[in-house]
Amino acid sequence: MTIDMSQFYEVFFDEAEELLAEAERLLLGIDMENPDAEDLNAIFRAAHSIKGGAATFGFMDMTEITHVLENLLDKIRKNEMKLTSEHVDAFLAAKDVLKMELDGHRLATAVDQEQVADVKMMLKSLSEAGGVAIAPVPTVSEPAPVPVVEPMPEKQPEPKAAEQETVPEVPSDGLNRFSIVLPEITEKDMSNLQSELGLLGDVAVSKQENGRFVFKLVTDSSQDDIVSICSFIVDPDDLVITLAKAASETNSEPAVPKAESGSNADSKVKIHEEVGYGLFEDEGKEKEEEGYGFFAPFQPHPDAVASTLIGDDTVATEANSGKVEVAAEVKVETVAAASADPVEKKNLGRRESDKAPANAETSSIRVGVEKVDQLINLVGELVITQAMIEQRISNLDPVHHELLINSVGQLTRNTRDLQESVMSIRMMPMDFVFSRFPRMVRDLAAKLGKKVEFVTVGAATELDKGLIERIVDPLTHLVRNSVDHGIETPDKRKAAGKSETGVLTLSATHKGGSIVIEVTDDGAGLNRDKLLAKAKANGLTVSENMTDSEVFSLIFAPGFSTAEVVTDVSGRGVGMDVVKRNIAAMNGVVEIRSALGYGTTISISLPLTLAILDGMSVSLGNSLYVVPLNLIVETLQPRAEDIKTVTGEGRMVHVRGEYLPIIALHSIFNQRTDIIEPTEGVLVLLEADGKKSALFVDRLVGQQQVVIKSLETNFKKVPGVSGATIMGDGSVALILDVPALIQMGQTPNNYLTGAIPFSNHNQFIQNQAMPKELS
Amino acid sequence: MSTDIATNTTNTTNTRVASSRSAAGEYLTFILGDESYGIEILKVQEIRGYDAVTQIANTPDFIKGVVNLRGKIVPIVDLRIKFHLGKVEYDEFTVVIILNLGGRVVGIVVDGVSDVMALKEEQIRDVPSLVTSIDTKYIVGLATVEEQMLILVDIEQLMNSQEMALVDAVAVH
Repeated sequence: MTIDMSQFYEVFFDEAEELLAEAERLLLGIDMENPDAEDLNAIFRAAHSIKGGAATFGFMDMTEITHVLENLLDKIRKNEMKLTSEHVDAFLAAKDVLKMELDGHRLATAVDQEQVADVKMMLKSLSEAGGVAIAPVPTVSEPAPVPVVEPMPEKQPEPKAAEQETVPEVPSDGLNRFSIVLPEITEKDMSNLQSELGLLGDVAVSKQENGRFVFKLVTDSSQDDIVSICSFIVDPDDLVITLAKAASETNSEPAVPKAESGSNADSKVKIHEEVGYGLFEDEGKEKEEEGYGFFAPFQPHPDAVASTLIGDDTVATEANSGKVEVAAEVKVETVAAASADPVEKKNLGRRESDKAPANAETSSIRVGVEKVDQLINLVGELVITQAMIEQRISNLDPVHHELLINSVGQLTRNTRDLQESVMSIRMMPMDFVFSRFPRMVRDLAAKLGKKVEFVTVGAATELDKGLIERIVDPLTHLVRNSVDHGIETPDKRKAAGKSETGVLTLSATHKGGSIVIEVTDDGAGLNRDKLLAKAKANGLTVSENMTDSEVFSLIFAPGFSTAEVVTDVSGRGVGMDVVKRNIAAMNGVVEIRSALGYGTTISISLPLTLAILDGMSVSLGNSLYVVPLNLIVETLQPRAEDIKTVTGEGRMVHVRGEYLPIIALHSIFNQRTDIIEPTEGVLVLLEADGKKSALFVDRLVGQQQVVIKSLETNFKKVPGVSGATIMGDGSVALILDVPALIQMGQTPNNYLTGAIPFSNHNQFIQNQAMPKELS
Repeated sequence: MSTDIATNTTNTTNTRVASSRSAAGEYLTFILGDESYGIEILKVQEIRGYDAVTQIANTPDFIKGVVNLRGKIVPIVDLRIKFHLGKVEYDEFTVVIILNLGGRVVGIVVDGVSDVMALKEEQIRDVPSLVTSIDTKYIVGLATVEEQMLILVDIEQLMNSQEMALVDAVAVH
């Protein structure tokens, strides 16, 4: 039977991508001096899982790279090699290559084979260099002869007594030394087994006092091979196999998946990578659970030493005893290092997320986004239905219908909870975005010869998945800009009396119904004069009286760049306008705060989800429209003397020194209304695409959050309308498309004169105006 | 008028343009003015009363607007206005047939829904060339049921046609 593997490809791709991202995150967070064993193990596990998956699906190119990567990682996590920045760089390069190969398989993008080969070479050379140059930790001055076939006396007083005895020699040829303790078997079976095992490598046999045989096997085969051979004659459950010394090739040893997944838990064959003080099953189990990690040899179970006192001695114990000593020493060191660790980490203040999510392995399921969206839609409908029931019930006599009213109250609460939890499905922590920046900042800073410390705040803040995906590009751009233009070179910083290392902070916080994402650097800040000069040179209308925030907003103008040198990082002046446009498309707002010499903060404020809009409902005749709140500058009821005309036609309103065109919604929509004079209605001052206009409507109705529904699903695009929403009473209200309305307002029939911003008072008067009249 | 058509139909049966698919099947019949129409029952999602609609600016008068159908925004077309048939009144007896046309949900206002009937191929006659406010290409055929003529409409094509102004291809001013 053949299984169509391709159906699992997606799962593998998704998983591999996540693992790579995780590995990168860990690599960037790693402390070169005192690498956290858990992190190293996690990176190793990631590499291993990818290798396993890639091999299963036949992506041999990925398998090869991960294999080499694993080799190197394995050495490092076993402390056979010291972690250096070269290693980290190599690992990161390997991660990139893997990602490239992954994309190659997934999206059929081009894979740079040269780069692949380079990375492979780099990893290999690092791995080999280390293997020879740096002595593996558990070496002892006098190596004992290879196969020790010498049963230990039953009573061994202290492990220390055996200190001089033996520590297995490290075979440099990639061979493994196993000691295999057999259950009681006949002489004949034993010799059969001996000859079988002889096929794998050099085998020596010894007999213990209790009548058990112990094989010492030097082979390049894996434990599994041994187990499978032995299982012909003895019950594998009764076998105790100890890997006396793992040589350089151990990466492929099957113990890895075992420890990782525990899927082989049924097999009771205990495999110990390090010399075995764990001859007893219980200990073995414990070791397995702890992971075979870096620390395993250094944290021997207290019973491990004592185990020699129990009758069931083996040769392995003797080998072990010497090792325990070494191990104990190392342990002390590690503890010392560990105690210093937290302090240092704090000082470094690298990433708050370093510690928290490392072992927060949550169980999750993969569900298609459409399914979630469908669920959200259904719940939305439920909420509306529920609101309708509530409204109908409010007319009932509370005395006669008390029970019904109570039940509906219950329903209301449950519905609200349900809606909240369903909406939270789409929410993802900002960490998904933030996690890609440490690497970028690191690479950029290195490229530009700057020192940058990257700090993230509020990575756990949640945002709608759709927005998460769309915020990446603008944020990437802003971060690049900050590193390139914001933070100065170390010399300049020194000259300015700042520390050489610049700080780049990426933060996310909730503020009301929106999320505020800020990119802050402590760099040079924006130079107002320079910006103004540049703007003038570019032919933009500017005046000396503009407020700071207006001046800073100039950098969002297309083609605007103050960079003196165009680098491949930034400075071409494309981008900031795109950033602004992208964010506006998400119903977001960008704002810049800066102080010359002290740094710049670019603040992006986004709605929590794309599906919900903060709106102001306005009435026109007998219909209701919703205006996106973030586009409203203010609302006012004009006095007759503020209404001006040009050639008796185009109407304008004079607000704080500015003349803004009045767009009459009723004339654009050809809708009947009794209110045709702006002085009787309300003007809503809107700003979109840098243009301000006054929308003339009858009344303001109120501010509310509305769920955006598409009109186009069943209908078509309607000019001036961006969507629809369902109000509390079940009726439909249209959401106005403000930029389109402004555009429409400028076509002859409806109205226009160009707005001339004469003066420069606060353009950013906050939405201070509240409805003077509520209908 | 209707008898004329019936006669014409019989006359032209021999020269009928072979319809590409069988028109036989179950039809929901509804009334517009004095005429009976039939649409394929499988295209009908539900039948409901007429609710307040939200008008949409700058659309033809027969597009009444949109309603909230359990969370979906559904446009409502008044066929009576479109075909200039019947009295355009909206009261508790006004019926809206909600159609599901390949995923697009559209409601049509009619004077009343009468029946569901199964029509056999031999009951269906071809449409003669006529000048009507509905392009004959959207009429699948004519059937005679109990002395009454039933106009079978390909509602999906009709609703997706440009003249209904329900799809984006048409620019509405």
